[in-house]
Amino acid sequence: MGTVHARSLDPLPMQGRDLGVNHDDMEGMETEQETKQEILENRNIVVQHVNIEGLGRTKEDYLGHEISDVFNAKNLIDVMKRSHDARMKLLRLGCFKDVEVLIDVSEGADALPNGLDVTFEVTELKRMTGSYNTMVGNNEGSMVLGLKLPNALGRGEKATFQFSYGTKETSYGLSFFKPQPGNFERNLTLNLYKVTGQFPWSSLKETDRGVSTELNFPLWMTTHTLKWEGVWRELGCLARSASFAVREESGHSLKSSLSHTMAIDTRNSAILPRRGALLRINQELAGYTGGDASFLKEDVELQLNRPFLFGSVLSASLWGGMLMPIGGKPSSIADRFYLGGPTSVRGFGMYSIGPQSEGDYLGGEAYWAGGLHLYTPLPFRPGRGGFGDLFRTHFFLNAGNLCNLNYGEGPRAHLQKMAECIRWSYGAGLVLRLGNIARLELNYCIPMGVQNGDRICDGVQFGAGIRFL
Amino acid sequence: MAAPLELYSWKGDWGLPSVDADCLTVLAYAKFAGAPLKVHKITNPWRSPTGTLPALKTGEEGSVSQPSKIIIHLRKQKYNADYDLSAKEGADTLAFVSLLEEKLLPALIYTLWVDAKNYVDVTRRWYAENIPFPLNFLLPSRMHNQQMERLRLVRGDPMLEPGEELEKELYRDAVECMTLLSQRLGSHKFFFGDSPSSLDAYVFGHLAPLLKIKLPNGKLEQHLSSLDNLRHFCTNILVLYFPTEVREPPTRKMSVFPEGGDFDNEPHKRRNQILSVLVSIGAMLGYAIMTGIVSIKHIRPQGAIESSVVVEEEEEEEEGEED
Amino acid sequence: MSLAAEAFVSQMAAAEPWPENATLYQPLSDEQILLSDNASSLAVQAYLKMCALPVRVSCRANAEFMSPSGKVPFIHVGNQVVSELGPIVQFTKAKGHSLSEGLDDVQRAEMKAYMELVNNMLLTAELYIQWCDDSTAGEISRPRYSSPYSWPLSHILAYQKQWEVRRKMNAIGWAGKSLEQVYEDVNECCQALSQRLGTQLYFFNKQPTELDALVFGHIFTILTTRLTSDALAERVKGFSNLLSFCKRIEQTFFEEADQSSASSLHSKGPSLL
Repeated sequence: MGTVHARSLDPLPMQGRDLGVNHDDMEGMETEQETKQEILENRNIVVQHVNIEGLGRTKEDYLGHEISDVFNAKNLIDVMKRSHDARMKLLRLGCFKDVEVLIDVSEGADALPNGLDVTFEVTELKRMTGSYNTMVGNNEGSMVLGLKLPNALGRGEKATFQFSYGTKETSYGLSFFKPQPGNFERNLTLNLYKVTGQFPWSSLKETDRGVSTELNFPLWMTTHTLKWEGVWRELGCLARSASFAVREESGHSLKSSLSHTMAIDTRNSAILPRRGALLRINQELAGYTGGDASFLKEDVELQLNRPFLFGSVLSASLWGGMLMPIGGKPSSIADRFYLGGPTSVRGFGMYSIGPQSEGDYLGGEAYWAGGLHLYTPLPFRPGRGGFGDLFRTHFFLNAGNLCNLNYGEGPRAHLQKMAECIRWSYGAGLVLRLGNIARLELNYCIPMGVQNGDRICDGVQFGAGIRFL
Repeated sequence: MAAPLELYSWKGDWGLPSVDADCLTVLAYAKFAGAPLKVHKITNPWRSPTGTLPALKTGEEGSVSQPSKIIIHLRKQKYNADYDLSAKEGADTLAFVSLLEEKLLPALIYTLWVDAKNYVDVTRRWYAENIPFPLNFLLPSRMHNQQMERLRLVRGDPMLEPGEELEKELYRDAVECMTLLSQRLGSHKFFFGDSPSSLDAYVFGHLAPLLKIKLPNGKLEQHLSSLDNLRHFCTNILVLYFPTEVREPPTRKMSVFPEGGDFDNEPHKRRNQILSVLVSIGAMLGYAIMTGIVSIKHIRPQGAIESSVVVEEEEEEEEGEED
Repeated sequence: MSLAAEAFVSQMAAAEPWPENATLYQPLSDEQILLSDNASSLAVQAYLKMCALPVRVSCRANAEFMSPSGKVPFIHVGNQVVSELGPIVQFTKAKGHSLSEGLDDVQRAEMKAYMELVNNMLLTAELYIQWCDDSTAGEISRPRYSSPYSWPLSHILAYQKQWEVRRKMNAIGWAGKSLEQVYEDVNECCQALSQRLGTQLYFFNKQPTELDALVFGHIFTILTTRLTSDALAERVKGFSNLLSFCKRIEQTFFEEADQSSASSLHSKGPSLL
């Protein structure tokens, strides 16, 4: 790091709202400041007071942990760095709209000659914010009303309520979030919801009403989620012409399940990563806490990214999962795995691989899928450094299989079954990053290894996804 | 003999003594049985002693409102149109009334209250024009919802949606029912010989509206008109028992395809104006109160992508504009 | 489905003969099924036996939700699913099996009318007693209806069903009736049926029709189902010709069938004999 000059302890102007800017960018901003006074680089200082101004309903004790590190600063650069970190931590709490940092020499009776005071001027979020959306799709429209109470009780608690009223169905969600003071990553969430989903590939309609409790905590490099969910599921046929196999699954059931998710994510971006790896292991045990459904479900996701020649990225992913019914009751169509679609095994229709009956896909109890990608920037790199960075071209090779296992047969037979009838596809296309949550893909696909009953999408395929192979 | 019986009924139109099937049934039965009723033809169901129409106000036992109960009550007062029926004919009456209720009534409800064109052009129009202000803004749509709900419950399908599929199903049942009635009636004057009974009242009550009310979507009427004996049966009863109604000229020329808005040439114009002013004042006041006490931030409608950061983003934009 | 396509499908259905694996679905017969559903199911079984069409009875806890109309029973024949007696009669007719061919127009009209009488009064009365009489609903209907489900779903579904039936009763004007009035209606309905039957073997002379199947299904089930009180069965027992009519149908169509096929798939519990 180069020399840092400061304007004689004038309040350091800290630009607000740079949540999205990386550390690398910050460095560039600070270096070329004009000097008027002495260089403070090597002078020892003591941070005497750290104040937070502008607090309304936020309890002060909740913020202590976030800013305490500033006291440990030994020189001005350190103060600035640590103050910046503290500012980021404060913003992350979701209680403040804006945080500004003021660094000044200490004043008053006990002021030391090299003493500094750091003041955080915070602007709290409103007690209640509302949002209103309208969404229009094919033959349906809906209105979404949202209500958010950030920092409801003064210690980072957040309550959100969302209500969507649509032409076809209504759904709602109520959630309450409570972080542990001083350890924001350790938090508890309670949810109450009703959602309705329509799955045309299975001619299935599902209405879920449920409650869930979720505990998140970090452990070494991993993040863990422990969850209990109790959900009343109502399945029905989407159309009169639905296959009898789907009709047989119709009706009500109660699922109560405990699940655990462990994730390690070292990728630099969730959607278009250049380097890093992701490992996510999820297991769900249903039935031991009540309910009609009993099964053990394992799901693994692995993704590796590595920079390659000329700014391109080589990426490999592997998914796999298994569902074991417990107690002789067959698994429900709503719990089984589905495979295929524009962001999983490309070149196949959405969830249109594997067991089916009269054109309705029933899902499988075991699956695996793998993908190999070469991502490159757009040819000739138009819009570089801006709009163009949202896009990538990619070449891919996907493979996967979805089937039902006979659990009496043992692991060898299972492996053999999973290795039979592998669907695979290759092709190339365009990827567009949508914020930091999803991506759009437009691909030309050539499906191979197609089995009887699979629905393929030969040629151009378009789709969006949050999870991608 | 106690105090005279008073019957509250919907008023008539289109040459019918009443526009409502249940009222027609009761009126016809009373005529057949020779019951001396004092009939109040009203257009405001809230003036009825039970809040619904038809309603029979009896001296000592209070009021009854269902047609079957009214008929039973009249029977108890010795006004019995079924006096001459044999036991088997009594059983047949029960059976055919059930047939009407299960097969024809749902289609009748559908064609008057659910079929969009019929409802808007005829049913709602009639009730809106005849029910006194301000109930005429409230009741037609409420009745529409009630009838829709009734249809849903009677069919036992909570997801029931009006549409071609449902219409086809209901009309198929209704057409079959009319054909069966026509076959049962044969060449008789009434269902059981030469004098009318309660079954005749029920059949008349359910068929006469279909025959007389001119609906833009008149599939049921077409079929009914093709069944000569049933058509004659209805007109016969009208001529014999309700001669004044038939002779009375139609109260209003009924155009199947009305031109212009419903209310422009009506006396509702003034009250519409007053009402709209009241509504807008109310809305403004409501808005003022809402914004003063609860500060809900209104966000412009977004696109199809839902995201939880919408609120913050919008706030930023607004601040940008202020700078 | 478009009209043309539907017409095509029904033609196809007509062309196909009755398959061996035709199946009738109903709720679990021992612990779940309620009087009204059992009566409807028995009526359909009786009808198919009268037509000599073989059908296998399959009990499913979710039969009500599998049915396209939400009502039980329903049959799965080939790739067609048809629920309730009325549509099933039409369906078999399309396949060339009918019991009412020999009737004249007036008789057919009467037959349909009496069938609606049973649906309109007897079935509604059964539903009323099951769900609107508090003791029957609390002791029998709710526990049985919800038996396949675990707590708390069992409670939710049972009360949801009760609420739905009560709203229906409201819509058709039965909500204000007392239990005694409902029994009186049952009496009136049975009186009419008994009157119509008279001394004949079946409602229309010597050949059974779908009306006979329907009446048998309901009367037999009312007579053989234990409720909190036997007031309902007592009302029906007053009509001796209906009793002997039920015994006759049971003997003719259920006993013989049971004897002829050693492995009886029919799930008939109680008997009048």
